Amino acid sequence: MSRSSRAVVTLPKTAKRGEVFEIRAIVQHEMESGFRHTEQGVRVARDIIREFVCTYNGKEVFRSELHPGIGSNPLFIFYAKAEQSGSLEFKWTGDDNYLTIVKQTITVL
Amino acid sequence: MNQRRIFITSLTALSLSPWQSASATPSEAMQAMQRIVGNRPVNTGRIYFDLPPLVENGNLVAIKIAVQSPMTQNDYVKAIHVIAEANPLPNVVSCYFTPLSGKAEVSTRIRLADSQKVWALAQMSDDSFWRTSVDTVVTLSACTEMI
Repeated sequence: MSRSSRAVVTLPKTAKRGEVFEIRAIVQHEMESGFRHTEQGVRVARDIIREFVCTYNGKEVFRSELHPGIGSNPLFIFYAKAEQSGSLEFKWTGDDNYLTIVKQTITVL
Repeated sequence: MNQRRIFITSLTALSLSPWQSASATPSEAMQAMQRIVGNRPVNTGRIYFDLPPLVENGNLVAIKIAVQSPMTQNDYVKAIHVIAEANPLPNVVSCYFTPLSGKAEVSTRIRLADSQKVWALAQMSDDSFWRTSVDTVVTLSACTEMI
């Protein structure tokens, strides 16, 4: 069983063919860097999201490799070109079996 | 050594050691860049890199990177990497694009451990590399504080 958390993706409902539209994807995650210590001097284990992938009708549009230098609740604002109506899938994977998938649809006019 | 001296030395050792071990150096950042680039030459410029020159809180710093490109099948931006010289790990994030991205632009939020120089490195589809850097001053640092 994998861990998951809340994620919100914002994109337009419709777009013209050939139009480049903005996508905002944010996910709830601590992004524990692995460099912090408790007051007793014990290192807090790293627990981060490692990868974020956006696919559009099965084809990769945007991919990101995350390191501890990404702030908590990672946000990505990026773009995609409207070609065909269909679905976009957003997938976050990370430490300790972390997996969150969000699916959205877009209508191309 | 008297008690006070022992106390002071242990105190400085305690406070300094995590910092010394937890911070990369400019040369480590260059090595991180070398691992991506290999032996190929790196040009300067072509990248728009928006990072505030003065950062109040290093835990969440909004950045935006854009590279001018037609984003066609033959000429597009493959990847954009962010490398911070004084973070515990110089690699911050790597973003990969395809012609379907339409635009080589990304915004995200990063952590900065100290006042430092941050690099943006872009790889084009013809495997040429471009880079640019921004100097920033951080008043409250991230990543290494106690919890």
